[in-house]
Amino acid sequence: MGSWAKPFTVQVSDADLELLHKKLELATFPDELEGAGWDYGAPLADVKRITEYWRDKFDWRKTEETINQLPQFTTEIEVEGHGSLNIHFVHQKSAAENAIPLLFVHGWPGSFLEVRKLLPILTAASPDQPSFHVVAPSLPGFGFSEAPTKPGFGGYQHAEVLNKLMLSLGYNEYVYQAGDLGHVLGVYVANAYGHKHLKAWHTNMPTYRAPTFWSNPLLILEIFTNKAVSQTLEQASRTWKKGGGYYMVQTTVPQTLAYSFADSPDGLLAWIYEKLARIVDDYHWTEDEVLEWISIYWFSRAGPGANVRIYYELTGGNKHDMFEGTKWTSVPLGTSYFPKEPIRFPKSWACLIGKVVFQAEHDKGGHFAAHEQPEKLAGDLRMMFGKGGPAYGIVPGKDGYA
Amino acid sequence: MIAPAAEQPFALFVPDPDLALLREKLALARLPDELDGAGWDYGVPLADVRRLVARWRDGFDWRAAEEAINRDLPQFTRDVEVEGFGTLNVHYVHRRSARENAVPLLFVHGWPGSFLEVRKLLPLLTADVPDQPSFHVVALSLPGFGFSEAPKKGGFVHKQYGELANKLMISLGYDAYVVQGGDWGHYIAGSLATYYAHTHVKGWLSNYPHAQPPKLSKSPWLWLTDLVTPYSEREKEGWARTKEFRARGSGYSHEQATQPQTVGYSLGDSPVGLLGWIYEKLVRWTNGYRWEDDEVLEWVSVYWFSRAGPAASVRIYLEMTNRFERRAVDGIEWTSIPLGFSLFAKELNQVPRKWLRTLGNVVFESEHEHGGHFAAHEEPEALASDIRRMFGKGGPGFGVVPGKDGYV
Repeated sequence: MGSWAKPFTVQVSDADLELLHKKLELATFPDELEGAGWDYGAPLADVKRITEYWRDKFDWRKTEETINQLPQFTTEIEVEGHGSLNIHFVHQKSAAENAIPLLFVHGWPGSFLEVRKLLPILTAASPDQPSFHVVAPSLPGFGFSEAPTKPGFGGYQHAEVLNKLMLSLGYNEYVYQAGDLGHVLGVYVANAYGHKHLKAWHTNMPTYRAPTFWSNPLLILEIFTNKAVSQTLEQASRTWKKGGGYYMVQTTVPQTLAYSFADSPDGLLAWIYEKLARIVDDYHWTEDEVLEWISIYWFSRAGPGANVRIYYELTGGNKHDMFEGTKWTSVPLGTSYFPKEPIRFPKSWACLIGKVVFQAEHDKGGHFAAHEQPEKLAGDLRMMFGKGGPAYGIVPGKDGYA
Repeated sequence: MIAPAAEQPFALFVPDPDLALLREKLALARLPDELDGAGWDYGVPLADVRRLVARWRDGFDWRAAEEAINRDLPQFTRDVEVEGFGTLNVHYVHRRSARENAVPLLFVHGWPGSFLEVRKLLPLLTADVPDQPSFHVVALSLPGFGFSEAPKKGGFVHKQYGELANKLMISLGYDAYVVQGGDWGHYIAGSLATYYAHTHVKGWLSNYPHAQPPKLSKSPWLWLTDLVTPYSEREKEGWARTKEFRARGSGYSHEQATQPQTVGYSLGDSPVGLLGWIYEKLVRWTNGYRWEDDEVLEWVSVYWFSRAGPAASVRIYLEMTNRFERRAVDGIEWTSIPLGFSLFAKELNQVPRKWLRTLGNVVFESEHEHGGHFAAHEEPEALASDIRRMFGKGGPGFGVVPGKDGYV
């Protein structure tokens, strides 16, 4: 319930669809070096194949229909200094009255669609498992949410939107699950609304700012004594070198990138697909699946150029890391480690983020845990919040059981 | 000796269908929004792109630009064999001075530059003016840029660029010559020095002062003096500018050095995307230079209509840095041929002067209060003057090319 929320269905205009198709008809491809494979970026064969599928076979209207099976709404959220933003979100309640309110927050290049496979699992009512009322918004500037119009919409502004959204739905106390940028924003929500509103949270990308010798000498020492730790850091450094180009561009010149994103469907496709394909664990994206994800960006309410601004805003244009202005909080935190998550932190560093009460490790899964391994991720949440779990009953009166 | 009959003249002419396709794409241009008051903080301002796209679509006359390019820049093509890479057809500008003994000079552009960058220098360098040295000028389109073919495989690095450029000069009868370059031209000039110093390359002048700090193991004296000598105000400013550029101005370089193909899709599919990507550099890297819209569009059009397509041009970043594993400058070895630097005020990478001596025998340093990265385009008089002073009578590079000292 939420008296101000209005039901929403995705309805891309015919004009937008037509423009996309005209552009696809004119799509021009570069050449490629012999034997390039993935060594130079997204391979030509892949991008061509998917673009041609987009042009000839992909049925957006059918996809739209399927997406609209998700219960979607919009609501106005006021953000201090930024006026009112119309926020799009998925909201599915469990049949269990006392289900735990859970806010699921996507990242980049994800979307609200990432909650899709989790929904039926998390909202299922059962005497043996805790269940959840799930809210999954499109972040401002993503999907079908409005974008901020002024500079300075940083971590605390996003946190304000997220918290107010939950409050507007009558969820005064709630829990939170995320990876990628959703995890980063979770840190802000914990800082601003921890305990009072955010009772506990879970991340599948447990990272934070690195320890310093002065703040955590033992963790620094461990780098030299513990091989697993030093290897994780070496791998992180390699991943940064090879895969960090997008971050450097998006944190410093998101507007320059926006021109390519808004004008070239296969340009947008390639930039995003490169990540989708690379940071999963043995997950085989179908063309339809990739195009559904890309379409959310292409047809996004604010246009595809708006979403990357979050990188600039969170880092001050790459003047600092994404966690500026946040601290460790004692809000109970659960962590799940998936083997092919590229952004890795040594496990011993998770304690820098918050009060870790739950840790799970898996042998399969990558960056998009909710999409690749929904059962595993949901299983972790059930363990963390279920009877006997470290965060059982954390939301007073809503222990999740029927 | 020259065999002018063997040169293949090239007249730039973009086929009509290519022009039509560009127009069609521009007609379908979809622009993003922008934050209020964003200015240049987030990248290229929307108003600039909107204006330029409209001009490109409705007003810019490419055929007229083409005509002027063909008139101002005598162009040719030539097949050059590169070991392991087969034959590449190279596009280049070539203008001889009226003076037989003019100094042969190879001009090398960078990214997002092109052969067009030599345009303003040509009349200055080839001029037959008493008491001034004159030059025969060759300016190639690097492989994968402008109207040169691109290599078909990976691994085209310092050695290959050197081989290609050197063979081109020799084939034009210039067995000995000097080199001038900035941006990638700096690294390629350095590569030419590394492989052909003394044998063919007799001296080089760079306007891109990028070098690594001296290493104790390699140049102990330089290392020591660098350690103990305080930096000048200008050096400190330059270094601060360098750090700022590396932290907040090099996203494109990280991406191009690691995922050139990924960014290449939008550069080749969207003229608007290409325009944004390049125009940002044209404005940010110059120093008070007033770009005319048609000037910008001409530069971007050369990328759009380039023989290998715009995606090919960015691969140089990956190749020359070995996938971002090292700095391109690491591929340059110290040589003793005369090395000069033209130091323009707002150049992006400005390392402390002593570091430059790790690249070669620095005999000439010319500081300017104006100018930026695209020196040949922004400050052609100043750059031409530096070239003359370095290689002319009384200069440290005078007479380096035997029998061709630049004078009557």
